[in-house]
Amino acid sequence: MLDNMESFETLFIQHFSEESKPIDYYLNSMRGYSALKKALGMTQDDIILEVKKSNLRGRGGAGFPTGMKWGFIPKKSAKPKYLVCNADESEPGTFKDRDIMRYTPHLLIDGMAIAAHAIGANIGYIYIRGEYTRETKILNEAIDEAYKNGYLGKNIQGSEFSFDLTVHRGAGAYICGEETGLLNSLEGKRGEPRVKPPFPAQAGAFGGPTIVNNVETLAAVPFIINRGGDWFSKLGKLEKSGGTRLFCVSGHVKKPGVYELPAGSVTLRQLIYGYCHGILGDKKLKAVIPGGSSAPVLTADEIDVIVDIEPLMKIGTMLGSAGIIVVSEDYCVVKLLKRIVKFYAHESCGQCTPCREGCKWMEDILHRIEDGHGREQDIALLLEVADNINGKTLCALGDAAAGPVISFVKKFRADFEAHIRGGKCPNV
Amino acid sequence: MPKCVINGREAEFSPGQNLIEVAKQAGISVPYFCYHPGLSVVAQCRMCAVEIEKMPKLQTACSTMATEGMVVKTDSPRVLQAQKSTMEFLLINHPLDCPICDKSGECDLQDHSFNHGDAYSRYTEERRTYMDLDMGPVIKKNMNRCIHCTRCIRFGTEVSGIHEMVALKRGNDTEISTVDGRSLETDYAGNYADICPTGSLTVKDFRFKKRVWLLKKTPSVCEGCSRGCNMEIHQDANIVYRCVPRENMAVNKFWMCDEGRFNFQYIHDENRLIEPLVAEIHQKNAQLIPSDWSIAIDTAKSILMGKKTAVLVGSDLTQEEGTLLQQFLPQHLPDAEIYHFGTPGVVSTRDDAPADRLLKRRSKTSNLNGLEKLGFKGFEKFSQNIEAVFVIRGGKAILPNLSGLQVVGLGVFEKLQAEKFSVVLPGTSFAEKDGTIVNFEDLSQKIRRAILPPGQCKSLSEVLMMWTHRKKSFGAA
Amino acid sequence: MGTKILSKKFYSEMSKLEPRYPNKVALLLPALHAAQDECSWLSPEVLAEVGAYIGIHAAQVREVASFYTMYNLKPVGKYHLKFCTNVACCLRGADSLLEHCEKKLGIHCGETTQDKRFTLAEEECLGACGTAPAMMLNNDYHEVLDIPKLDRILEGLE
Repeated sequence: MLDNMESFETLFIQHFSEESKPIDYYLNSMRGYSALKKALGMTQDDIILEVKKSNLRGRGGAGFPTGMKWGFIPKKSAKPKYLVCNADESEPGTFKDRDIMRYTPHLLIDGMAIAAHAIGANIGYIYIRGEYTRETKILNEAIDEAYKNGYLGKNIQGSEFSFDLTVHRGAGAYICGEETGLLNSLEGKRGEPRVKPPFPAQAGAFGGPTIVNNVETLAAVPFIINRGGDWFSKLGKLEKSGGTRLFCVSGHVKKPGVYELPAGSVTLRQLIYGYCHGILGDKKLKAVIPGGSSAPVLTADEIDVIVDIEPLMKIGTMLGSAGIIVVSEDYCVVKLLKRIVKFYAHESCGQCTPCREGCKWMEDILHRIEDGHGREQDIALLLEVADNINGKTLCALGDAAAGPVISFVKKFRADFEAHIRGGKCPNV
Repeated sequence: MPKCVINGREAEFSPGQNLIEVAKQAGISVPYFCYHPGLSVVAQCRMCAVEIEKMPKLQTACSTMATEGMVVKTDSPRVLQAQKSTMEFLLINHPLDCPICDKSGECDLQDHSFNHGDAYSRYTEERRTYMDLDMGPVIKKNMNRCIHCTRCIRFGTEVSGIHEMVALKRGNDTEISTVDGRSLETDYAGNYADICPTGSLTVKDFRFKKRVWLLKKTPSVCEGCSRGCNMEIHQDANIVYRCVPRENMAVNKFWMCDEGRFNFQYIHDENRLIEPLVAEIHQKNAQLIPSDWSIAIDTAKSILMGKKTAVLVGSDLTQEEGTLLQQFLPQHLPDAEIYHFGTPGVVSTRDDAPADRLLKRRSKTSNLNGLEKLGFKGFEKFSQNIEAVFVIRGGKAILPNLSGLQVVGLGVFEKLQAEKFSVVLPGTSFAEKDGTIVNFEDLSQKIRRAILPPGQCKSLSEVLMMWTHRKKSFGAA
Repeated sequence: MGTKILSKKFYSEMSKLEPRYPNKVALLLPALHAAQDECSWLSPEVLAEVGAYIGIHAAQVREVASFYTMYNLKPVGKYHLKFCTNVACCLRGADSLLEHCEKKLGIHCGETTQDKRFTLAEEECLGACGTAPAMMLNNDYHEVLDIPKLDRILEGLE
């Protein structure tokens, strides 16, 4: 399986070690802040054009073209503009941003300063999940270093551009990974998603035009500025996806962890059986969740798919945050789905009806089925409840809960039926 | 005007109007719970989901602005199915205790369930329940009935300006409440119940008193201050059970203060004097004793005529009553000095000002501006040598110090207020008469009679008629 | 308000942070974190003090604090063990770790030992799926856990 893996360039992963943290390493071994200096000599339009050319797409889950997003920010604004880094990394199965912040914090700061310059923002926040206390400390230390060396603060490197950056900790709420929930949380409110429109680019943080980008997205920016959008675009193997991607593989594989590969260059099978050395205990593969726990599940027969946005969409699932969760044959998929739905019910903000009421209802039904008290009509009921949530909620959390339910039942219906008919989990 | 198409019908709109309002104008009703025209739009309940051409997902009508040429369907199979499912979600944890719920009959949840819901439930899980803590004297909370529309929270933060109603916890466990059983602080608490689309927040004063479908509703205007908030008087069998605000965007929008809301209670107060009373003369601590109208009027005349007399006209009287007095007084008490009165410290409209950031005004009577326009002067003090005072009011004007004077009172008084009076001629309250009042912004508004006066209470015109009539018969004798 | 519960350090930290935000309400999350670091849990009195400092109604403080799972609105033990039981950790045996811990400490998830030393909690995804199963002990991560490793950690605590 490993035989057909060609060599390729990586941007991040070779720097994922403790020694990369200090600014000296960043300056000396990663051409640190040279991109920022270069960007300060470029016009805002030129930077955005370069990012558009790079085909960099948001790494947080939605996969929206970053350059296009930046282009939505109005040139002039009565209210201050903001750049916010989404470091909430809350989608189960995702843990790549943590490594970026932990090992290469300056790369993120560099990228944020460039992005802020490009959109004309002088204030930036890194909204980091509250549990990442160590990463918060590392980022704060790096920010101090950057201020001391003139890469943050007033008149950066003697230019007209000033940029203040603050780390803002979340406090335990998945929904704050949703960008408008994040903005409410940043403003000292409950992290409840907002009605859109207005979109953050028009009225975001504190009412000002705001861009929210994921950590990996912003950390890719210095490479793009240094080496050009065309170069970055060509790193990717698909037309619309530039650069490399950090894949997070977890669950029943022999070598879980973060893998960096050119976007669109690898299939799920290659990732699981090649890079991750196959299934734990050499068991059979049962299921793969390809994009964080909200992504519809795939069966063992569906893994010859390129792990990127369009190919996965084509087979009815999504790349999301590239959190790939691998499940072997001896784990009960009903139990797994119940755990997933329990999570979304727990994390529902409670604002909108279908999500608040429906997620808990699905959890209850699944609990019943897993417990062996399921009834014949429960599968149909479960699917109908999921359908009544899907696409009908205020934010994407409803879909995140309904998608797994619909796909698990569709693909593993026999397992659900066995629980109901047998009155218990057939694996036990 | 730009146009869009709703259910195949052309609908005009002004830019910035949402689809709920545009549809409403076109005679099409879109059901909703969390939307309220006086509050911010949150699109939470999802009940107003509609289908819009070229948009793959259903859109909430409350948060979607109409645009030129937009094609909207509010009754397509997809929309109906979404409404049905939203109703199901909202009801799975609702106690369905309509038979004993005060909201029943005017409940959005009940009505929408009837119109858009299903007749049976597929829910077999245990229902979510909450323990309710007290919220003070005005509102009773029953969280089990709540559908989390957050109208009350938004009313507090956006309208009354006190962030006292909050959502605690999150998701399925979200509880809407004050914190730790704190009493509500706002003077506008009754509105919480008005805007609640279920029986989760009800007015304690009205609890279990009357089924709402038995109430007869009379549009009227509050007499509680010079704002003149529009309201409805709800009565049955001549008893007023409650007053609720009536929408008037120019005056009170959708709201009313608690003072105004509960002002009606004096109408049925057991201490209200509802028969003519005359003080026993020649006694030191004269007691008021029931009399009949002829004796009471004769006694009033004997007290007021031929003395240095002042007349106090309550600025809670209507324009019609004021005009009547302007004709009556010069003829019958030609030497009397005449003033209007109502609120201590508010002599004229110049002294009237906002009393809070929302609706309340300093003038505690409704027609200060009107009486001033008729030419009445504000009371500051009596001239020297005044011996007798004729007080004419509704039930709201606050009496000045009248000690040492002989007083004839015409209007609504309660026992303690009239203790020292020589004569009481029982009159009518705002709910017992028609008339016009002029608010502080020169707006003339009608109050309407909702009930008949109690006991022997008579309208001002009737009393003045009797007075005039009896004078003639006296003169002839 | 009477004597302050929160320290001078809290207030100086907050005034340092204040210029970083366009309004004071945005300080609420950082203030609650700092207050909890000092007091280990957010009592009604602490919440009231934070509200008074920021200038918002006490109800608003509670409303926000109760939305987030990291704020302890009830007292917790000296050692707050939070086991991730989300998908990736479950696939790697988080359930048995939690069960082991429950037995060992003699308490259920969500409870605190009588000596107030341990509070045991189930946590949603900690973002450590590649090194599952994981748990947080107060503010620190412990990853790639198994029962012997967990025992060693517990035994290392005073």
